[in-house]
Amino acid sequence: MCVLLRIITALLEIETQGCRLPVLRKNQENEDEWPLAEILSVKEIPGRKLYYVHYIDFNKRLDEWVTPDRLDMKKLQFPKKEAKTPTKNGLPGSRPSSPESEVVRVAGAGPQHTPSRPPQPQAQQKSIPTKTSLPDFQNGTARRPMPNQPGRKRKQPPNCGGTDEDSQDSSDGIPSTPRMTGSLVSDRSHDDIVTRMKNIDCIELGRHRLKPWYFSPYPQELTTLPILYLCEFCLKYLKSLKCLQRHLTKCNLRHPPGNEIYRKGTISFFEIDGRKNKTYSQNLCLLAKCFLDHKTLYYDTDPFLFYVMTEYDSKGFHIVGYFSKEKESTEDYNVACILTLPPYQRRGYGKLLIEFSYELSKVEGKTGTPEKPLSDLGLLSYRSYWSQTILEILMDLKPDNGERPQITINDISEITSVKKEDVISTLQYLNLINYYKGQYILTLSEDIVEGHERAMQKRHLRIDSKCLHFTPKDWSKRGKW
Amino acid sequence: MSKLSFRARALDAAKPLPIYRNKDLPDLNDCVSINRAVPQMPTGMEKEEESEHHLQRAISAQSVFREKKENMVIPVPEAESNITYYDRLYKGELRIPKQLFHIQPLGLDNEQPDYDMDSEDETLLNRLNRKMEIKPIQFETMVDRLEKASTNQMVTITEAKLLLNEDDYLLKAVYDYWVRKRKNCRGPSLIPLIKLEKRDGSTNNDAYVAFRRRTEKMQTRKNRKNDEASYEKTLKLRREFSRTVTILEMIKRREKSKRELLHLTLEVVEKRYQMGDFTGEVLSEVTAPLAEKPVYTVPITVTNGNRHNHKSGGLPYHGYHHVSVKDEDPFDFVRPKKKYTRREPLCRPGRPAKRQHIVNKADIKQYDFHSSGEEDYPLSPSSEPDEENDPDGTFAFRRKAGCHYLAPCLDQTSGLLWDHPELAGLDALRHRQSLTALSVPQRCVGLARRRVGRGGRVLLDRASSDLDGVLKQLDSGVFSSSFPKDLSDHQVPTQNHRTMPGSASSLTDLLSNIQALRWRFFRPRSTQGDASGEGRTGRPSMDNRLSGGLFVHTKNSGSGGITEEQYQVHQQALAQMQKQQLAQLQLKAPPPQQHFSLPERQNTRVHSLSPLTQMHFHLMWTSRPPHSTSTSQGGTGLDRSGRTPSSGGPLLPASHSTTPQSLPNHRGHGSAVSPAHHHHNARPSPSSLKLATMATSSLDRVPKVTPAISSMAR
Repeated sequence: MCVLLRIITALLEIETQGCRLPVLRKNQENEDEWPLAEILSVKEIPGRKLYYVHYIDFNKRLDEWVTPDRLDMKKLQFPKKEAKTPTKNGLPGSRPSSPESEVVRVAGAGPQHTPSRPPQPQAQQKSIPTKTSLPDFQNGTARRPMPNQPGRKRKQPPNCGGTDEDSQDSSDGIPSTPRMTGSLVSDRSHDDIVTRMKNIDCIELGRHRLKPWYFSPYPQELTTLPILYLCEFCLKYLKSLKCLQRHLTKCNLRHPPGNEIYRKGTISFFEIDGRKNKTYSQNLCLLAKCFLDHKTLYYDTDPFLFYVMTEYDSKGFHIVGYFSKEKESTEDYNVACILTLPPYQRRGYGKLLIEFSYELSKVEGKTGTPEKPLSDLGLLSYRSYWSQTILEILMDLKPDNGERPQITINDISEITSVKKEDVISTLQYLNLINYYKGQYILTLSEDIVEGHERAMQKRHLRIDSKCLHFTPKDWSKRGKW
Repeated sequence: MSKLSFRARALDAAKPLPIYRNKDLPDLNDCVSINRAVPQMPTGMEKEEESEHHLQRAISAQSVFREKKENMVIPVPEAESNITYYDRLYKGELRIPKQLFHIQPLGLDNEQPDYDMDSEDETLLNRLNRKMEIKPIQFETMVDRLEKASTNQMVTITEAKLLLNEDDYLLKAVYDYWVRKRKNCRGPSLIPLIKLEKRDGSTNNDAYVAFRRRTEKMQTRKNRKNDEASYEKTLKLRREFSRTVTILEMIKRREKSKRELLHLTLEVVEKRYQMGDFTGEVLSEVTAPLAEKPVYTVPITVTNGNRHNHKSGGLPYHGYHHVSVKDEDPFDFVRPKKKYTRREPLCRPGRPAKRQHIVNKADIKQYDFHSSGEEDYPLSPSSEPDEENDPDGTFAFRRKAGCHYLAPCLDQTSGLLWDHPELAGLDALRHRQSLTALSVPQRCVGLARRRVGRGGRVLLDRASSDLDGVLKQLDSGVFSSSFPKDLSDHQVPTQNHRTMPGSASSLTDLLSNIQALRWRFFRPRSTQGDASGEGRTGRPSMDNRLSGGLFVHTKNSGSGGITEEQYQVHQQALAQMQKQQLAQLQLKAPPPQQHFSLPERQNTRVHSLSPLTQMHFHLMWTSRPPHSTSTSQGGTGLDRSGRTPSSGGPLLPASHSTTPQSLPNHRGHGSAVSPAHHHHNARPSPSSLKLATMATSSLDRVPKVTPAISSMAR
C-alpha cells in the first residue's frame, strides 16, 4: 500500500496536469463536496505541493490551489491521449510558459497508465461533456476543440451564430490576431493554460481585499506577490504597501479622472475616454479583467468610453463598478464590459449600472444590448433588469377606453432602449407570451406579479435621468475615436 | 384555434399584444403548449458556461420566484473590506463640491516620478540621510530618470551624470544602488510596466502583452468580409469629397468677390462720370494719394469745357466714348500704339508720366469689364458704328486677352496723331497716317503712311477711312487751290489740310502747307499745348493748349485778326453746339443706332447731321483747326462746301445739306478762332519755331515719295 501510494505520488509529480479527480471543496452551506476537478497546474512551495484545480461545471472563478490532501487520488482519471496530436500541431507556437512541454511529457507517458483510465466516463454529473473536454485537455494548452464549439470564440451563442459566417472561420484557421472590435475575448491565447489560471493572489484596493477570479495581464513580476496594491483612485498597481504609501503622496486624485456626468446622492458616474486617459483606462481594464473571464485586453482602449460608478464618502469617490462602451458600435452594443466590484456585488449596483447604460442609450435615441458572451452573473443581472423593466411597463399599462391594454414589442423596445431581441427573450423567459384565440398575447401570472412587486420593493437604487448630464458625441465624425 | 394557424404565424414585433392577467383567462391552460411556437431566444452566453452548475441552479431558483434563496446565488471568491490602515493610508478628506467634476484635457500633468520608493530604498535613503539630506521624492525622481533613460541597456555612470544634476557623491551612491537593484530585479524595469508588443509579431500570443495598438483598420461590419483595400478606398473617397467641397466653396467665394469688384468698379466709374473725372485724375488722387500732384493745371480747365457739355447733356459715359472715338477713328487706325509713342514726349514737360499711366490703367480696367459684358457697350472702339463701311472687315481691331489697351483720352489726344508730326518727333512719323496725295498723277490717295522698304524704297501704306469716297473725287487741282471758305462745311477744310503736304512742290507752297498744318493744329483741346506751353507763363490756363497750337500757327502764317474775345465767343458757341449734339445723342436709346439715326432727326433741327458732319462735329470739338483755317483762307472754303454735298460718297446722305441757320454758327466759329491767331501773333516762342521747322523738313519728303507710289501703282 505504501509502495503503491508512493508510485501514485511519483506519477502525479510527473503528469498530474490534465488529470481529473474528485476534489474536496466546501459548498455555500459549508458542506463538504467532492466535485470532479481537473488539475491544471502544480507548484511546489517549501514543504508541500499545490495543485491548481478547475472544478468541472463550475465557473473558473472557483478554481483554486489545493493541497494534496484534498485530492481523491483513488478516483484519478487520466486524460485520453488520442485527439492530442492533430490539434497540438495546429496550435500557435510561441507559448511563453512551461505547461506545454510538461503536457507533452504527460501525453507521452499516458499509454503506460491505460488501466486507470476507463472509469472516466462515469462521472457523476450527466452534463459533463467528456468528448469535448478530454481532447482539449490533451492539448494541454487548448482546452476547447474547435469543431465541437464553433461559437466558442465568438460573442454570439450558436443560436444566433448559425447565420454568422464569422463564427465558422474560427473553427478552421487559427487567426493570428483577434478581431479588433468589442472588448470580449476572441483570441486563442485565452485557451492558453496561462490565461486559464488566476495569476494574482490578492488585490488590495482601498478598504478592500479582492480575490481575483481570472487571469489578468498585470506585469509578470507582480504576479508572485501575495498582495498587489492598487491606488484606489488612479488604480495604479504597486508592489508593496510602502510603494502605495509613497504613491499616495504624489497622487492627488480623489475621483476617477474623467467628467462627472451623473450625481445623485452619493452615487456618481464618471466618463473616461479610453484614448485621452490611457493610463487610467488600462489600469481599470487590468483590474476588471481579474473579474471578467471573457474580457480581452489584447488591444488598446482607444475605441472605448468607460463609465465608472463611484460612491462618495469623505475620503473621495470610491469605485464601485464600471462599464465600458464602444464609441461606435456596429452591432448595437451599448455595453462592452460591465462589472460590479466583488465587495459591492449583490447590493443592486449591477442593476444600477445596467440601468445607467440604458439611460445613455435613451439619450442617444438608440436601443442597445450588451456585448456577448454574457457571463453567468451577467446573464442573471441582465435578465433581472430586463424582467423588472418590462414588467414595470406592462403592469403600468391601463385599460384604454375599456379595451384591454396592449403594447407591441417595438413599443417596449423604444420605451426602454432594450433591444427587441432582448425584449422577446425576456418575455419568453418570463413565460409571458402565449398564443390565444389566434393571436399572441401577454399573460401576467400571479407569481410573476407578486415576484415583481417584491423585487421592486427591494430595488432602492434607481437612476434619476434628471441627474444625468450627458451629451452623446458622434464619434463617426471624428477621424479616430 | 387550430394548430396550423399558430404555426404559420411568427411573433410580430410591430403587432400589439394584448395583456391579460391569468385570472382573466380561465381557458389559458389549453394553449400553454403553444408557447413553444415562439422560437427560443439565445441567452447570449457561452454554451458550456450556460450549463454550469451554479448558474443552472440559480436560474431554476429564479424562475420560480418564491423559491429564491440565499444559497441559490452563484458563489464567488470572497472579498474582504476590513483594511484597518485605510484611514492612515489615504490621508485627508474630500468635501463633495457642488459642481460636477470636469476634467480639463491635458491638465493634472504635474510630472511626478512614476517610480515609487519601496522599503529597500527607504533603507538606503536613511543611510544616505546620515551624510546628506535627500528627500524621497528626489530619490524617486533620480531613479525614475535612470529607468526611463534605460531601454535595453542601462545608462552608464557618465550618462547618469548628464541625466541627473546631482551632487557627485549622491549620484554615485544612487547610481550604484540602482544598478545593483536593477540587476536583481525580475522584471524588465524597476517601474512595473505592462508588457509591450514587439513589432515582429512574436508577442502576438503572449498573454501578458496587453493593449496592443490597433494597426489594422477597424472592421466596419462584422458580417461582411471587408477587405481593407475597399475600406481605405472609401476613406480616400471621403477625403477627396471633402476636399472638393472645400474647393467649391472657395470658388464660390472668389466669384462673389469678383462680382463685388465688378459692382464696385461700376460704381467708381459712375461716380467718376458724375464728377466728370474723365482724365482719371480724381481716381489717381484717391488711389495714389502719394503720387505727385500735377503742377500743370491747364488740362483741367480744358476738361471743364467738356465736362460742362456732358453734364448739361446728361450723356451716359459710353455715349461720351462713342463721341470721342468716332472722332478719331476714320483717321487713326493704329491709334493705341501711336498714341503711346506720341504722348510720352508730350507729357514729359508738363506732368509726370506716371500719372498718365495711372489714368490709363484705370481706364483699361473699366474697359476690361466692358468687353466682358459685350452687349452693354456695342459702341466700344472696336465695334464702331461705321463697321459696315469699315474696310478693316475681318482685320477689324479686336481686343486681345492679356493686353493693356490705353483708352482714348479725349481732350488730350484726339486728332493729335497725324496733325502734329513735328511735335511727336521723327519716330512718330513712321506711324503717322496722313492724308496723302500724289503729284505726278495728281490725285489724292487718301490716308497713307510712309515707310522705308527694301532697297530704300519708300512705301506708302494706305489706310482706308470713311473719307475715301470723298477723297477720290477730289482732284489735285482742287487740293492745291481750294481752301475751306464755307465754314459751315467742316469736312472739306479737314481734307484739304491733309492733302496739302502731298501737293506741295515749292518752298512757298510748302510753307503755306505748313500753315495749313498749323491750322489743323489749332485745337483748343489738344495736348500740344503741353509742349509749347512751358514757354509761356502767365497765360490764362484755359488757353494753354489752344495757345500752343495758335502759337505755332501764328508764327508761321503771320496772319491774324482774331481777338481773345472772339475766341471766347467761339468757345461758347462750340460748347453750345456740342451740348445740343450730345443731348440728341443721349436721346438715342440704343447706342448702335445712334449714328445712323442721327441725320434724320438732325435735319429738323438747327444742323443737318450726316454721319460725316457728325464726325466733323467731333473733329471740331476736339480738333478745331478747320475753323481757324477757314477764317484765314476765306473764300475757297465756301467753294468747297458747295462741292462736297454734291460729291458726297456713300457716307454723305442726300439729305445732307447745310442749312442757312447753321451757317452763322460756323462762321462764328471761324471768326472766333482767328482772333486767337492774332492774339498770339506777337509772341513767337523758340520751341514752337523749332517744331515747325521739323515739321517742314519731314513733310518735305512727301513729294519725293510720290513717284515711288505711282510706279508701284503701275
